[in-house]
Amino acid sequence: MDNYREERRKKENKKLTGIMKKNLYLVFFVILVLCGVLIGRLVYLNNVNGDKYAKAVLSQQSYSTKTIASERGRILDRNGIVLARSEKVYNVVIDPKVIMSQDYYLKPTLEGITYIFGYDETEIENLIKDNKDSSYIVYEKDVDYALVSAFNKYKNSHKFVVGIWFEEQYERVYPYASLASHVIGFVNDGAGNYGLEQYYNDTLTGTDGLSYGYYDSELNMQKVEKQPIDGSTLVSTIDFNIQTVIQEKSAEFQNETGCNNIGIIVMDPNSGEILGMTSNREYDLNEPRDLKSAYPEEEISEMDDSQKLDAMFKMWKNFCITDSYEPGSTFKTITVAAALEEDKVYSGSDFECLGYKEVGGWKIGCNSKSGHGHINLAEALMKSCNCALMDIAEKLGSDAFYRYENLFGFGRKTGIDLTGETSGIIIDRKNLNVTELATSSFGTTFNVSMIQIASAYCSIINGGTYYKPHVVKEIRKGGIASDIETPDYATTQTVSKKTSDFIRNALYMTVEQGTATPAKVDGYIVGGKTGTAQKRPREEKRYVVSFAGFAPVNDPKVLVYIVIDEVHDESMAGSSGPATRMSSAIMKEILPYLGLYPEGDIEYNVDYSLIGEIPDDGEDYGDELNSDVLPEGIDGH
Amino acid sequence: MRYIKKTVLSSYDIVLIMLCLFLSVFGLVMIYSTSSYNAARYYGDPKLYFNRQGLFLIIGFIAMIIVSRIDYRWYIKPWFGIKWLKPVWMLYIICLGMQVYVLVRGYAAGGSSRWIQIAGLGNFQPSEVTKICFIVMVAYLAQKSPKKMNYFSGYLIVIIVMSPLLALVAKQNLSTAIIMAGILTVICFTVARRKAYFIWVFFLLAAAAVPFVMFAGYRAERIENWLHPENLESGSQILGGLYAIASGGLWGKGLGESIQKLGYIPEVHTDMIFTVICEELGIFGAILVIATVLFMLWRLMLIAINAPDLYGSLIATGVLAHIALQVLLNIAVVTNSIPATGIPFPFISYGGSSLLVIMAEMGIALSISNYTVREISDEEVYQA
Repeated sequence: MDNYREERRKKENKKLTGIMKKNLYLVFFVILVLCGVLIGRLVYLNNVNGDKYAKAVLSQQSYSTKTIASERGRILDRNGIVLARSEKVYNVVIDPKVIMSQDYYLKPTLEGITYIFGYDETEIENLIKDNKDSSYIVYEKDVDYALVSAFNKYKNSHKFVVGIWFEEQYERVYPYASLASHVIGFVNDGAGNYGLEQYYNDTLTGTDGLSYGYYDSELNMQKVEKQPIDGSTLVSTIDFNIQTVIQEKSAEFQNETGCNNIGIIVMDPNSGEILGMTSNREYDLNEPRDLKSAYPEEEISEMDDSQKLDAMFKMWKNFCITDSYEPGSTFKTITVAAALEEDKVYSGSDFECLGYKEVGGWKIGCNSKSGHGHINLAEALMKSCNCALMDIAEKLGSDAFYRYENLFGFGRKTGIDLTGETSGIIIDRKNLNVTELATSSFGTTFNVSMIQIASAYCSIINGGTYYKPHVVKEIRKGGIASDIETPDYATTQTVSKKTSDFIRNALYMTVEQGTATPAKVDGYIVGGKTGTAQKRPREEKRYVVSFAGFAPVNDPKVLVYIVIDEVHDESMAGSSGPATRMSSAIMKEILPYLGLYPEGDIEYNVDYSLIGEIPDDGEDYGDELNSDVLPEGIDGH
Repeated sequence: MRYIKKTVLSSYDIVLIMLCLFLSVFGLVMIYSTSSYNAARYYGDPKLYFNRQGLFLIIGFIAMIIVSRIDYRWYIKPWFGIKWLKPVWMLYIICLGMQVYVLVRGYAAGGSSRWIQIAGLGNFQPSEVTKICFIVMVAYLAQKSPKKMNYFSGYLIVIIVMSPLLALVAKQNLSTAIIMAGILTVICFTVARRKAYFIWVFFLLAAAAVPFVMFAGYRAERIENWLHPENLESGSQILGGLYAIASGGLWGKGLGESIQKLGYIPEVHTDMIFTVICEELGIFGAILVIATVLFMLWRLMLIAINAPDLYGSLIATGVLAHIALQVLLNIAVVTNSIPATGIPFPFISYGGSSLLVIMAEMGIALSISNYTVREISDEEVYQA
């Protein structure tokens, strides 16, 4: 009975027995051990497996870092015609290291590459085997995109074709080959040489992108591409049609007559924009090392390497900005403008020309040996009278003369946005004595560049605003048409409107009746000033002839400045005729293009109250010939 | 001051409550850390998961306190004097019903489903409740005749009684069924005086597992993932976790600094959350978490040992086994020590019903501690 009770009690109040406690401790112990094992596993993963996975990643690496070429910005003419652009080409790059990394890669890869590109299989095989440790062999350049895409397609369906990739490159293309070659310049190894290509190299050059691969946590190859930023597009002020016209005329003259150097600048006087600029023989920008475009073949074959190099440098330079010369009579306009501005002369001023003037002990001649006699200020320009100009300069004085030289930008670079500009050389103030002042007054004994004269003329005829000459109108950032930067070009004031009016009318008379009559264009009112300067040594009788013309006189829309260095024709060596005739031919073609149409027989009423009476004696002043006006021994510098 | 009479103290386990709160609040922080990126990316609200889990944490805490005030013996108290009408059987039948429901609905939906939708609370996973049912049921069966557990037949009887539930759960969620079987085994093992048969049961199961794995396609794939996580697309979650663990180092990258959580590990805030703990807090942080869990298990073991009766001891043992198994399996999976299976880290992984149920479960364990009385002698009181 007791026993039973005991059992009942036990049954009702079952408790955890000692064995059960031990079991529980055992369970807990096992859990403890397992936790320890798992912690060990964590430590193991941290210390050991990191490397294991890193190795797995490395062994499968088949995608290397490479740059994505950015596109060099285009160069457009003012109306959007593409003058320079970049075209994508592909280079075939072989990576032998990857191909040789597994036995089973070589054969399929060789098959693929020979199948698509038609390469010689053994040649490639040897190349790969000989360069096992190399990762970068450019096998062929400038491959078509069609082949590239064909290969990529092939590669996608053939797993073991590896280690062949394509490098994108841009090739500079100039669709109009030699059009404005001196203004544009060319690209060599990604860097611009000469012209806009060099001056705006940083703007045109984009930022290369980068493409690289890495394995993500899921061991998938993640291809990351940092897109390249394309270079900015330049919209130049060059007008395709005007440029074509002046290049044609220039080539025509060089072919028919020939000269040492020729330069033509067409400018918009109201903005300083260069509409056209050509010099000498324009070369093919697509083949900048090919002398053929500038030299006859027999001449090239005779050259040795250094001569060829010299010839290239000569061919590449832009005469309009890199060379300086004595401007001659075209400079008279500037002297007269300065004197008018300083109130040293006025339209009624009169001068006596004896054919020479004695200055500082020198006897300096006029272009008319017999003298122009009694002339007024306008006639001094029309007849291009040296004596009158020397008188004017004397009145003006060295200080003012030097000041105006500076004001018009002589003796320093105009800052045109082209590479290789010269500053020219003017006589500095302390050496500008009476004689130098006299010779400088008609544009001798100092050197200027074409762009300096053209810019100075623009300011005089447009009412007195000097625009910094420039070739770029706007910069489209990254080639995007909506992000346009319009460069701000500095302006300064040179002369007053009154002076400008006088000069325009006087220069109109110069073309009408004076030394520049061949520059006339039927149906237009043209103004302009000729210039001839005798080169040193004087006895060789070599001349730089020039003409700066503009139209229409009442509201100039275009300025044409032509400089011909040594016409290869004795009969017209010292004559400005070739320049004036060329100006006429150019204007005849470009004026209608600029929206100015010939108006038949027009009578432009010159305001004689402005320029003074010009005796209409029906006399043809003829050509200006500044031959031996400077006595031996006078040298500006 | 001296007391003469014997004093009876309840040993309601405040420490266990603190541990529960600590782990679940820590889990909340980690959920915010791991899920905010994806939540912001896909739902536009970085706190989405944090808020939901926080809500469940509050509800769960309240549930825990309420359950801890219910006498655990009530579950096996017959209603209206009818011997078989006990809450534990009612729970058994309810769980069976819910499991059948999800199974049928799953078939109707054309796939396996583990969820029951409850308005306002979102998805609810009945197998979580089934785990509680399992613990109280197996504990009940085992304490009824502990001696039978000395033999395999006793163990087998428990298995047979529980097999309908086990089979239904296994049908939808094998890993939960494995945990349940584990709980069952641990409870039986604890009661058993002779336990040699557990050894050959173990080998029998291992032998049975081989064809089971071989012939089920997706399981074979899981094994393949396990052995070579880098080769298979579906190994990405495991491999991402391994990268997270391996990149954490001893001290981790710092809270919130994980890289792998940024979309590299799918559903990182649920089953894979431990990997981000490793990445952000390092091995050091992981060991602290494991130590906290071990401390909690230790408290549960003390409850089991001091429980007023065998039933209480075995429930506490079941809770202990449940938490231990889930933690061990979760860490084993994320460290790629065993083939992948979806097991959340208790208290820490995101999952409302999971948290709610585990809190309620802790409530039962607390209830046992609440009814555990200690008789202390004068001496001890004096010392106190």
